[in-house]
Amino acid sequence: MPSPSHFVTVKLHRTLYGEQAISEAAATFGDFATFTVHPEGDHYVVDVSDIDGEVQGDVVAEFCNFALANAALQRKTSDG
Amino acid sequence: MSQSRMETLDPQTSTMTLSIDVDLYPRDVLYAAAYVFLDRAYVLLDRDGSRFLVHLRGKQPMDEATLRAMTGEFENELLAQALRHRVVEVNQKIIENITTLAIAGAAGGSGGAGDDDAPLIDMQDPGDDGFLEDPRGIAAPWEPKKKDAD
Repeated sequence: MPSPSHFVTVKLHRTLYGEQAISEAAATFGDFATFTVHPEGDHYVVDVSDIDGEVQGDVVAEFCNFALANAALQRKTSDG
Repeated sequence: MSQSRMETLDPQTSTMTLSIDVDLYPRDVLYAAAYVFLDRAYVLLDRDGSRFLVHLRGKQPMDEATLRAMTGEFENELLAQALRHRVVEVNQKIIENITTLAIAGAAGGSGGAGDDDAPLIDMQDPGDDGFLEDPRGIAAPWEPKKKDAD
């Protein structure tokens, strides 16, 4: 589980997190950090930099929650 | 190898990791259970071979008992969501039929009911249908009483 700092790398498994889910979450938090996403093996590697230190809360962990929520909702939509 | 297992638990960082056999629950069930916890924990899902890994970190500081309780709640939620998933699967056809009938009814169609739309009581001879029979004398006209009350 990532913890707050100014540069963090998160690995999200490709079978559990879609690229669109990650991109949308990155866009949501674009005002608070810079996100770059690239596939690497079974994972999408998300490099999070320029994290706004003034923001209360954990930007990276909230980003992961958003990515998970997006993945779950998109999976539900694609089933329906 | 057990199907669900606590891998790590650290009250210092309010984190714990649960691993679940991938064959135990469908992925949709894992998503649904994780979604329920998003408001009180940071959730990160991963996969290691034949096991899903669920990393949870409390948004508030949590002691060991609270973390263990949350783990149990997560496992319960998995079970509840699995049942929900199963019920929807089994009743899918019924749900679709009811929805089709409701939409057809709202659109003014018969919804394929055919003669089912005919009145249940033959108004020419209602006694034949039996609803006028009152062997116990329960039925009582209420209109005259209401009129007196006014």
